[in-house]
Formats: sequence, structure tokens, C-alpha cells
Amino acid sequence: MLTHLLERPEKPSRAVILGAQGFVARNLAEVLERDQIGCRRVGRGEVDLTAPGAAEKLAGILAPSDAVVMTSALTPDKGRDPATLMLNLRMAEAVGAAMLPGRCAQLVYVSSDAVYDWRSPLIHEESSAEPLDLYAVMHIARERMLGHCCGAARIPYAVVRPCAIYGAGDTHNSYGPNRFLRTARAEGKIRLFGEGEEQRDHVWVRDVAEILKLCLLHRSTGVVNAVSGKSVSFREAAERIAPLAGRAVQIELAPRGSPVTHRHFDITSLARAFPAFQPTPLAQGLAQMAAAMSRVL
Amino acid sequence: MKDASSAAVGFAGLSHLGIVSSLAAAARGFEVIAFDPRGGWCGELNAGRLPVREPGLDELFQQHRGRVLYTASLADLARCGLIFLSLDVATDDDNRSDTAPVRELIGQVAGQAGRETAVVVLSQVPPGFSRRMGRENFFYQVETLVFGNAVERALQPERFIIGCADPRAPLPEAYVRFLAAFGCPVLRMRYESAELAKIAINCFLASSVSTSNMLAEICERIGADWGEMIPALRLDRRIGPHAYLSPGLGIAGGNLERDLATVEALAAEYGADGGPAAAWLRNSAWRRDWALRLLHAKGLLARPGAVLAVWGLAYKPETHSTKNSPALALLDAIGAVGGSRVQAFDPAVTLEAGRYPRAVGCGSPLEAAGGADALILITPWKEFLGAPLEEVKKAMRGSLLLDPYGLLDRATAEGLGFEYHRLGAGRLSADASA
Repeated sequence: MLTHLLERPEKPSRAVILGAQGFVARNLAEVLERDQIGCRRVGRGEVDLTAPGAAEKLAGILAPSDAVVMTSALTPDKGRDPATLMLNLRMAEAVGAAMLPGRCAQLVYVSSDAVYDWRSPLIHEESSAEPLDLYAVMHIARERMLGHCCGAARIPYAVVRPCAIYGAGDTHNSYGPNRFLRTARAEGKIRLFGEGEEQRDHVWVRDVAEILKLCLLHRSTGVVNAVSGKSVSFREAAERIAPLAGRAVQIELAPRGSPVTHRHFDITSLARAFPAFQPTPLAQGLAQMAAAMSRVL
Repeated sequence: MKDASSAAVGFAGLSHLGIVSSLAAAARGFEVIAFDPRGGWCGELNAGRLPVREPGLDELFQQHRGRVLYTASLADLARCGLIFLSLDVATDDDNRSDTAPVRELIGQVAGQAGRETAVVVLSQVPPGFSRRMGRENFFYQVETLVFGNAVERALQPERFIIGCADPRAPLPEAYVRFLAAFGCPVLRMRYESAELAKIAINCFLASSVSTSNMLAEICERIGADWGEMIPALRLDRRIGPHAYLSPGLGIAGGNLERDLATVEALAAEYGADGGPAAAWLRNSAWRRDWALRLLHAKGLLARPGAVLAVWGLAYKPETHSTKNSPALALLDAIGAVGGSRVQAFDPAVTLEAGRYPRAVGCGSPLEAAGGADALILITPWKEFLGAPLEEVKKAMRGSLLLDPYGLLDRATAEGLGFEYHRLGAGRLSADASA
């Protein structure tokens, strides 16, 4: 759960977003700019966090009053192998090394719900972390590495674990709303495994950005899941997306390769931390995503 | 030297348990000396005022207080052949017990009592505590006080469970005479068994509560009604007519939580599987926040200026105790950074001044409902049964009604335009809520 060091929201003098070109980073920057919160995006071109000397370069950018948000990661579509894992850990090592006393006012790490035991049907922040693949290992290891460094430097540290994120501009193509809308628009088809019975929580990227912003405004510490709190089946998601494609869409069923599992999130901790934050209903978020994708095309 | 068989019965530590138990002893004809070193409650009781609330306690007090001497003087216990230690064991936020005051009191009492005086601990102590005291004529007696039903249980106990250094050895005469006065079975066992028996009883209660809550929630989701199912369960001999089957907002009050924390600690220490206890506590926290999730889902926590009427602050009816109260957990959540504020009423509990900046105490249920967007009947006080819904609706601004225990009539409420929610009852056209 989160603890707020600032009960009343207070804008940080500047937010430094690591991983500037990423899906979450771009949305966070837009939200912060909209709310007139100073923001500096640091991309790979400026500081390659996997390269030698990255910590020193990053340290040269940071001011003591900065709030840092680390979104940088090589996502599973870039690789799921040990080499990718090690590159991801190197990034965290560099950021952690830059976290010396007084170097910044807060670090927020954007992790993932992948860290949780997939056998738990109802997840909360205290659910056991049991990473099943190297991507999940990467996130839990980075959470701990950065926590260790921030603890030693007495820098307030928060971890935000989003569930499956959807929204316009996502470069990932994993099974879920983003892929469904893409294939619906491009091919007039949405493919489901089995009957698409599995229930999952899908969170709109703008909601993730809002939660990150709230963590900055309250200088929060601890762990919170960025979720909608309402799981739906892939079938329901597909049926909601089909009418948004702008053409006739057929939902196709393919044999499933694994048993049906469901995953729900307990939103209580998020509601306690930010009672004034209301997750965007899936239908509304999907409509926003579709509208934004139409504008791009 | 006193005659132990006819001497007075002493109680040291005037807790809720101590007051009720000492009056029950007086009601059985014993002369009672009730000692408390703090003195404050002795003064209240000697002045004829009861510092705790309990159904039937006023009458018991009025009828039998003549046989009780309330005293802050330890020396008065010297006249007793049997002394019960009835100090409440405080628990911290993690439900861990602090037994230091009990040990201190035992030291004081033992210093005063002769070797022939039986000393009996009623306080909630963990397994191993009694043996470590290493005192002769020292016993542990399981207390199963239930707030709201304490008087009846003290006057007519189901059984006495006595922990002894050696269960084969006879009990002291004064203790035998006391136990016989209640006419119920006496079960003697070693200290450790008795200490764990107390915890075992609470574990079975917690498992019933958690099982009921788990299934009641599933009822809410699938359109079943837990209330319709309860009679079927009560008629099953393996479950029984007195089983804890009513759904509620988790486990509260502190006693069950303390014992579950003890089980978890024992399991961890001895390498046993304490997983079920952890699961019960987790389910309890989940159900405790039922109202919070519903209010959040309805957007009321986010709405600036939203007013929430909360009826009930005590953790259950007929008590002033708020230990682990779901109402206070809700106020805590709202009191952080939300936009809404609370108007609260409880028949026995007054809001602690300044503790909940977004909450105000009200003088009546109707006053609390005034201008509210939602009404939450979080403690099932009988005072709320059959509340005048028409008046309540007129007083309110909104129409959300959370009635977890079903104190109000759903059909009437919905007829008046309320959006009504209660535990354990789903709709067949299921709108899955919180």
C-alpha cells in the first residue's frame, strides 16, 4: 500500500521521465504538461541506461527537487531471453547508482502485474510475487534493486504495478484490446482463444498516467497496483471493440493452448490511496483509444 | 489465617470481563472483592455507575453490587481464597498481545496471596504463558466472553475449561466450590491444552465467519441469497443451529484477530502450516472494505462535497468497542485525501475529536442522514431496525443505501427510489457490485 508524504498534493518542481519514447512515458508527459507540471523526458538517445557511464550522465541531469519516474524497459516483444533480462537489470543498476543522498526528491518505478503469482484469482498489493518468466523476474529484481538504493539514499520510493494496459500508440501486440482493435481495423477479424472466457483487468494508459501523477503530487511511497478493478472476459472486450473498428468485424475462435484462468484485482488499496481517482470504464477507454487511432490514420 | 473454602472470591483487573465475571460470582452467592490498581473504575462502580455497556448488566449490577467490594487496595485481596485475574490483554495494530501488564499483576497478586490461595488467570494469554509462571495453585481458565451476550454467558456458562500444571491433581477446595456453583461441566487439562483450546474455539469461529462471508459474496455475484441458504445449513448436524453463518463485514473486535495472529506466530515458530489463518484475515480485510469499494465504484469518494451518512461506529451492536471496526476503517480511508465527508451516528460511540477530519458526529440517525448522498448502516444496532425510510429519503440528497446486514426492507427501500445493497443477496439480473 502507499503512504503519502504529502497529504495535500504539491507539484514537484520537475518530473524527469526515463524512457521517453515509451507508451506510458508519452502519456505521462502529456498528462503532466496538461496539468502544468514541469517535465523532462530522458530518452535512450540522451542517456543509454545500458551503457557504461549511464549513472554519471543521469546524475548530471537530475536536480535535488526532481521527481524521477522510471518507465524504461525492454518489453517482452524485444526479447524474453537472459540477455534481455541482463540489459534490463543494467538499466536499473544505472538508475540505482544515480540515487545518491539528495540527488532527487522521489523515484517512482513503473513495474508490472507480471510479478504476481498467476494462480491467484484475486490480486492485491500484498499478494505473493512469484515471477514465472524472465520479464517478471526483471521487474521484481528491478523493484528490489531500486528499493535498496533509494533506501540507502533515503529517497522516497514508490512502485506502480499496472495490469494489462491498453490505449492508442501502444507498440506491443499482446493478446488483448490493442491487438483486437488493430486486427479488427486491418482485417475485419478478432481472434479469440477458446471462447475468450478468461477474465482480465485492462487499464487505460491515461489512468496509469493519472496514478503516476498522483504518486508524484503526494510524494507517495510503497506499492500500488494500477488497475481498473473490473475484470472482463476477452470475449466481452472483443465484442466492445468490434463496433469501434469502423467496418464489419468477425470474431473468430481458435483452439486454446492452456486452461482457462481468471484474474481480478482488489482495488481497495488504490481507492484508499487516491479516493478521488476514478478508473475509466472499459467502454469509455476503448472508445477513446479507437478515436485516437482514427485521428492518427 | 483465612479458611480458603469460605473466604471471599477476588477479581484483579476490572476489565469488561472482570466486571461481568465478578458480578456473576456475586449472583451465585459469593462475597466478591474486585481490585483494580487504577482506581478510576472502582470509584465509578462504588458510586453506582457502570463504565461498560452490556445488555442485562445494569440489572445484574443493581441486584448484586451489595456483595461486591470495589477496591484499589491490593491488601483487600488477602481475604480471598480464590483470586481471578481478569485484566484485558491489549493488542497492537497487528493484533499482537502485550502480556506484560498481566505478568505484573500476577506478581502483585502473588505477593499478597498466601500459598494456599488459588490464582486463576482469565486473561487472554498465549500458549506457554501459564507454565512459565511456575507458581503453585496457579490455573488458567478459558474465558469466552462475547460482547453483547456476556452476562448470559457468565451466568450460564456452557462449560469451564481449566488449565492446570498437572490435570490429574485435585483442584483447590475454594475453586471447586466456585465452579460447582454454576452447574456446568468442568474440563480439566494441562495448561497448554487449555490455552490452545481458547484459540481453537476462536479459530473455528473465524473459519465459520470467513466461510460465510466468502459464500455470501459469491451469492451477491450469481444472484443467490445467502439468507435463504442459512436454514439449510443450520439443519445439517455437521454445521449446527448455533453456527456463525450471518455474513458480515469481516472479523472485528480484536479477540479473534489476536488469536489468529497467535496461531500465525506459533505456526511460524514451530514450522506448521498457518496458511488458513492468514487466508481468514485476508478475507476479513476484503469484506471489511465492502462499503468502501461500493462507494468508490459509485464515484462518491471522488465527488467533491459528497456527503456520506454512516450509522454505527462500534464494531458490533451493544458495545462501545471500536477495535478493528469496519466503520472506523471506512472513516480512515475517507479521511485521507478524498473529496467526500461523513456524518456519523452511533448509539454508544462518540467520534474521537480531531481523529477523523472529514467526519462529524450527529445526535440522531436522521440528523446524520441530512443532505447525504449515501447512507451506510455499518453496525447492525437494533435502533436502526425499521428506520422511517420515507423520512430518511426526504432528508437525504442522494439515494444510495448500503445496508450490509439487511436491517431495512429492501422492497420498501427500492419502492422509495433507493439503490439498495446488502451482503449475501444478489440479483438474478446480477449487477455485480463492489
